[in-house]
This record gives sequence, structure tokens and C-alpha cells, in this order.
Amino acid sequence: MQNSEQMKWVLLIASLAMILMSFFVILFIMYYQKRRFEEEKKLNDIEKNYNRLLLDTALNSEETERRRIAQDLHDDIGTMLSLTKLSLNQLNKMISKNGDEKEESIMKKSQSLVEETILHVRRITRDLVPTTLERFGLLEAIEEFIDKLEEDNSLIISFHANTEEFPRQGQKLELTLYRIMQELVNNAIKHASCSKIEIVLETNDRFVSLRVTDNGVGFDPEKIKENNLAGLGLLGIESRLAIVNGTVQYEKPLKGGSSALAQIPVMPLSENKPEPLHPFRRERVNI
Amino acid sequence: MIEIYISFCQKHTFICIAVFITFIPLIVSLFKKTYREASFSSLLIYLITKLVIDLTMFHFASIKQSTVVYYNISIPVYYALIGSMFYHKFETTRYKKWLIWSIGLFTLFSIWDMVYINPEFSNLHEQQLVFYSGTVLSLLMIFWILLYLYEIMLLLKIPNLLNFPFFWVCSGFLLYFSSLVCIAPVLHYAEKWNNPLDIGFVYYVPYIFEIVCAIFISVGLWNFSFESYAKQ
Ligand SMILES: Nc1ncnc2c1ncn2[C@@H]1O[C@H](COP(=O)(O)OP(=O)(O)OP(=O)(O)O)[C@@H](O)[C@H]1O
Ligand SMILES: [Mg+2]
Repeated sequence: MQNSEQMKWVLLIASLAMILMSFFVILFIMYYQKRRFEEEKKLNDIEKNYNRLLLDTALNSEETERRRIAQDLHDDIGTMLSLTKLSLNQLNKMISKNGDEKEESIMKKSQSLVEETILHVRRITRDLVPTTLERFGLLEAIEEFIDKLEEDNSLIISFHANTEEFPRQGQKLELTLYRIMQELVNNAIKHASCSKIEIVLETNDRFVSLRVTDNGVGFDPEKIKENNLAGLGLLGIESRLAIVNGTVQYEKPLKGGSSALAQIPVMPLSENKPEPLHPFRRERVNI
Repeated sequence: MIEIYISFCQKHTFICIAVFITFIPLIVSLFKKTYREASFSSLLIYLITKLVIDLTMFHFASIKQSTVVYYNISIPVYYALIGSMFYHKFETTRYKKWLIWSIGLFTLFSIWDMVYINPEFSNLHEQQLVFYSGTVLSLLMIFWILLYLYEIMLLLKIPNLLNFPFFWVCSGFLLYFSSLVCIAPVLHYAEKWNNPLDIGFVYYVPYIFEIVCAIFISVGLWNFSFESYAKQ
């Protein structure tokens, strides 16, 4: 009987030990799993931030490069063209004294060619760097962009904003929105064969949203992504938005065409704007 | 008849709770339609089989007949059913192969065990409990559960284990089998007709953890949602 009593205790203790052990195994696995997941998440975050930084740098250097080209065009070729125009004017005076009809017509032709080249260079530099955007803000810049497009197209482009005075946003955000608007409108013109494009810019205290709607053939963004048809345009929109935490949605309105909505959370205006390489602003700005 | 059952219940409360608690995971399982997923359909079959065997044993025990033979048969059946549940869950093909082999070998082993202990099958009253099978079953089950937990730890696919039904099922079984593993070898003596070894309350420990296991399984099954499973 003594034996049986001892046996009882041995069994009980052994069983309890086993049970405790499995209990701790369960707890350990839960704890370990949680730790691993947290680490993984941290790593992911770091990677995401790094990618964003990379993208940001790439886009920034693109803009810087554009500015450099614009500046070179303006300063070198622009100046040279102005000088050429001056020389041609002098030449013109000399030729008109001679009174040769033929020489004079050639002269007129070269003069107008130079004038035209100057205009072209001006236009290209302005396309490269949206100066209006920097000086007057999004509303002005979009209106200017539309005016230029409507000049040589039979398109009707309408533009609304929900406020008269669109508050200035951070430089990066404005540029992002402007470039997205440019790409969306260009896409509509290139692919949609539409007759009307509507641009709506809205802002509240949390989001700035831009909607571009056309009445063309429409498209399915999922299909385009699946079939790898996306060009630089749509991808560029996404990477630009990724930097500023924005989102884009493409919709198919019932009445046809396509509609894209880009939303960007409003960022606090950073005080010290980095002074851009500014080819057009003549006055010196002291920071 | 009913009075007999009731008086049996009053005498062996823990055992009866352990028998009837199987209804809870069973009902949850049917309610949540968990059988749409392969491993959980194995679990459902296991629960049904367990309930049937337990109720049979309950009946014969209450009319004072030996239930040992059902216990002996149930061991390889449980192993096959729980094993097939893990078979669907393992992602490593090597483990799956091992598991299949172990089910086959264990079935042969437990049949041998049964025949070796009871050479005369006809005498139901003198049947003895299998000697090794219970312990081997517990050890094998603990091994597979730990292996599975190790696998999910390595694969790192499940963000929150508490929402993961199978983790609860594993934990329940792990607790039950680790409570059984030390006691199973002694049961051979304790369950004899002329009980030579009285281990007293220790005898009830596995029953208590059977109840705990059923509760764990019910909680796990309650967390089940087919949609989230399909995604994994
Ligand atoms: N407004 C639209 N209407 C109809 N189809 C469109 C529209 N916008 C885009 N698409 C389709 O989506 C495709 C991808 O557009 P995306 O801007 O990425 O490339 P792209 O315009 O062809 O080239 P890129 O912009 O690089 O010059 C286009 O080829 C076009 O088929
Ligand atoms: Mg495009």
C-alpha cells in the first residue's frame, strides 16, 4: 500500500511536469511568433522607407536635370539667338540700303526663322520647367496648360476648383499634382480620342484631390497592369504618389470614357523651401 | 435504464463530463461548417468517432461490463484520424510521408499489442488493456504536434496565432496527450477487472485534460472562417 501511495505522487508530479512543459511550449511559440512578426514588420518598414527615398531621389534628380537643360537652353542658346537676331537686324539695315530685292527677302526669311526659333526655345524651356506653377500655384499653372492645349486642338477642356483661392501647397505636392494632371490629360488626348476633358481640383483640410475625366473610349487599368501594357505614364503616376502617400483610382463612369482620381494627404507647409535652380527668376532670393 | 446512467454519472462525474463535452466542439464544428476544409473534416470525423466510442463505453460501463476492448480498438483509430488531420496541415512533403508510414506502422503495432496482451479474444470479461499502445500514441502525437508547431514557427505565415483555429486544436491535443503520457503505462494495471493498483485521483488527470482539450478545440473552431482559410 505504501508503494501505491508513492506511485500516486510520482505519477502526479510527472504528469504535472509534462503538462507544464507543454504549456510553456505553447506560450513560447506564441511569444516567439509575435517577436518574429514585429521584427519582420520593422524590416519591411525600413525597406519601404528606403525605396521611397530612392524613388524620391530619382524623381528629384529628374526635375533637377530638366531645370539644368532648361537653364542651358535659355542661357546659352537663348542668348546666342538674341545676339543672332541683333546681328541680323544690323545686316538687314545694311542690305536695305543696297536695295536688292532678292537679298532682302532672304534676309526677312532668316529673321523670321530666328524669331520662330526663339519662340520655340522659350516654349520648350517653359514645358520643361513649370514656372507658372512655382510662381502662381496650381490653379494658374493648370489654366495655362489648358490654354496652350486648347489653342491648337478642337478639344474642350474644362477646369473647376472648389475654392476661388486655392491655398498654396508644398512645392513637392504641387509639382506632383501638376505632373499627374499633365500625364492624365496627355493620355486622354493620346489614347481616348475624346472631345471633352474635365479637370476638377478639390481640397479640404485633409486631402487634395484631382479628378480628370474624359468622354473617350475608356480603359480597364487592371487589364493594362496584368498585360504589362502600362507605359511610363501610369507607372510614373503611381511612383510619384507613393512618395507623398497618395492614392489613385481609375473608374469607368456610366456614360463612358474614363475617370482618374488622385488623392494626396495635405502635408504641413515646410518653411524652408529649397531654392530651386531657377532660370527665370532674375531677382536674387536670400534664404 | 436512465437511472442506471444517472447513478453512473453521479459516481464518475469527471468521466461523464469528458464523454459529453465532445458535443460542444462537434456542434461548433457543424455550426461553423468547418468540414469544408480538409484537415477540419478529419477533425470532425475524429470527434464523431470519439463520441460514438465514448458513448458505447459509457453504456457498457454503467451496466458493469468491461469496456477495455473498445478502448483498445479506439487507440489506432484515433491515431489514424488525428494523424490524417496533421497530414493535411503539414506543408513539408517529407513530414507527410513520415506521418503516413507512422500511421500504418502504429496500426500494426497496436494490433500486435492487443493480440499479445489478450491471446484469448473470446473472453470479453478477462480482456486486458493494451500495454504499450497508449504511451506510444501519446508520444507520437506529442512529437507530431511539436513538429507542426515548429513548422509554423519557421514558415511564419500566421500573424496572430490566437486567431488561428488550428493552433488552438494543437494546444488542446498537446495538453491532453502530455497529461496522458505518464499515466497511460499505468492504466494497464489500473483498468484490470480486479483492480490491483489504485492510483486514486491521478486516474482522473487525463479526463480533466480531455475536457480542457475539448474546450480548446471548441474555441479554435469558433475562430474558424472559411474565407480566411482559403486565402492561406
Ligand atoms: N484616358 C484613357 N483612355 C483610354 N485609354 C487609356 C487612357 N489612359 C491610358 N490608357 C491606356 O493605358 C495605357 C497605358 O498608359 P500609359 O500612360 O501608362 O502609357 P502610354 O501613354 O502609352 O505611354 P507614356 O505615357 O509612357 O508615353 C495606354 O497605352 C492606353 O491604352
Ligand atoms: Mg501616357
